[in-house]
Amino acid sequence: MTATQAPGIKSVNIREALTRKQRNPAGVALHVALVLSMLFALLVLFTLIGQVMVKGIPMLTNRGTGFLTGTIGSEPTKIGLWPGLYGSFFIGLGVIVFAFPVGIAAAIYLEEYSKQGPLARFVRINIRNLAGVPAVIFGVLGLIIFVQWLDPVTKGETVVAAALTLSVLVLPIVIITASEAIRAVPQGLREAGYGVGATKWEVTRDMTLPYAAPGILTGLVLSVARALGEAAPLILVGAITGLLPRTGLTERFTALPILIYNWSGRPGRPGKVDWENAAAGAALLLLLLVFLFNVVAVVLRTRFERRRSGL
Amino acid sequence: MNISKRVSFIGAAVALALTAAACGDKKESTETTAAPETTAATETTAATETTTAGGLDLSGVKGNVFVTGSSTVEPISIKVGELAKTLSGGGLAVTVEGPGTGDGFKTFCAGGADISDASRKIKDTEAEACKTGGVEYIELAIAIDGLTVATSPKNTTVDCLDTKALYALLGPESEGTVSKWSDANALATELGSKYNNLPDADLVVSGPGEESGTYDTFVEFAIKSIAAERKIEKAAVRADYSSSANDNLIVEGIEGSDDSLGWVGYAFYVAEAARMKAIAIANKEGACVLPSPETIADGSYPFSRTLYIYVNKAKAAANPAVVAYVSLYLSEQGLAEVPAAGYVPLGADKIQASVAAWTAAKA
Repeated sequence: MTATQAPGIKSVNIREALTRKQRNPAGVALHVALVLSMLFALLVLFTLIGQVMVKGIPMLTNRGTGFLTGTIGSEPTKIGLWPGLYGSFFIGLGVIVFAFPVGIAAAIYLEEYSKQGPLARFVRINIRNLAGVPAVIFGVLGLIIFVQWLDPVTKGETVVAAALTLSVLVLPIVIITASEAIRAVPQGLREAGYGVGATKWEVTRDMTLPYAAPGILTGLVLSVARALGEAAPLILVGAITGLLPRTGLTERFTALPILIYNWSGRPGRPGKVDWENAAAGAALLLLLLVFLFNVVAVVLRTRFERRRSGL
Repeated sequence: MNISKRVSFIGAAVALALTAAACGDKKESTETTAAPETTAATETTAATETTTAGGLDLSGVKGNVFVTGSSTVEPISIKVGELAKTLSGGGLAVTVEGPGTGDGFKTFCAGGADISDASRKIKDTEAEACKTGGVEYIELAIAIDGLTVATSPKNTTVDCLDTKALYALLGPESEGTVSKWSDANALATELGSKYNNLPDADLVVSGPGEESGTYDTFVEFAIKSIAAERKIEKAAVRADYSSSANDNLIVEGIEGSDDSLGWVGYAFYVAEAARMKAIAIANKEGACVLPSPETIADGSYPFSRTLYIYVNKAKAAANPAVVAYVSLYLSEQGLAEVPAAGYVPLGADKIQASVAAWTAAKA
């Protein structure tokens, strides 16, 4: 040992000072604050889910499958949310069909093909900004572009127009998460590909994308959940809450979040299974629908991950 | 197209999302007794459902009808639509939306709907738009809607008000200056109201937001003419009150404070009568009139309005489903849905006038 020991301090004391329980008041306070924050978040979440369960389950047990297959209307004891399920399902599917391919392709271009100059940086910053634009703005956009301009394609205020609007809404999220997943692929992997004479597209297709797939899928799960939960843009695109006897891709449409909002605003009668319960029942089913989309994505992600580690 | 009105719903949606969790329990504890009116309305529903036999024969009618327009009339159109579906054995498919009277006429006058619901008569500008769009229509009165000015059931100091006092309390000139009921006394006196001795209590105002037809109706009834007389440009309710598109939140606001003041549609007041106290409105002779099915039907209650449907003539001629739906609307069975939806039936003479107009237009 070359260092000189200061007089009065023994090595035993140092060891004790380093290993004894810390009594730092600020540190303890921070610890408590962090735990409280977490507990608060959990409490709010469980209260919310609890409320939805307590109010929604009577509706489901009372009405049984009638609540799933019936149509919307004026009596909470007779209505069903089939049009809402139909609308939300096709919105989810629409996002998968429209936003995913376009978003992933854009991310591949930005990360693998474009020159990394000021222009690329400008584009990237703007995509990030787009992700922060309020949903209502996308609703206005959807109304003008997909409902009015593209009327021959979408047939006006239909589920197709709604799915396109929400696809545009989640596009920035898809691009950002896919970009990040692609950027996280080790450069060595690509170089190995080029080393054996693969073209850029072959490297992207066979090495980069499979490696980035789990990360990309996480982004897709988030964006589908976001699209299924949006109500504001759908009000603008013309979702119906009154009476909707027919469902179809070119018919008028509705969706679960819209029904939840509308039903919870209708007058209630005390002590009866009512609009409040109908809204909670719809909320339960929306949660279930989001969950189902997520399960599919998680199963896919696990498969990709297994393949990656098995390489 | 419908941008401005639809955007204004969003604020309410956000407010709802924020308060929904907090409000759940409170509502149940306070709704202990059902109002007698509520029971009456439910009984009417039951009665109409059991007497559906022997009415209009709609069996075999097939086709689609699209109804847009007022969200106030929407519940009636929905109920008649449901009836049409049952009576036609599922062939008559009626789609109903309720973006508002103004938005409804925009769609209707562009030829985008078979029928437009309206909580007021068509405006000249809208009639002009229909003419430009080549849409000929027929106007049919179908029901009456009343507006109820309400306070908390615990408020014992205020039972009756006139339009002038309401203007002093809620009009554009009260904004920022009237924070207690008594602050409105000076203006009420100036306007010549005899309700110029309002209590020395905080004024808590809740009502529908600007996007609502009920807001427009209130401005029409209580504010517009006085504002015009006093050369106030903006005929509007004071901006500093808690507004909502969600009727339940308005009721919570009215119920939640002993010194509250607010207004809701009569149908909604009937459904939630246990939680609010209706304030009588003084008519031109100074007599206080409470809203009730009788006072609204005979027109003696000052704050009531007629509800209409507008039918596109060309679409009715081309589509038997539209004819069947409107005929059902004006039949005994159809009109029974008016009280079932919480509105007040028209007087017999006015119904006859609508039926006659429709029969003439059909031929």
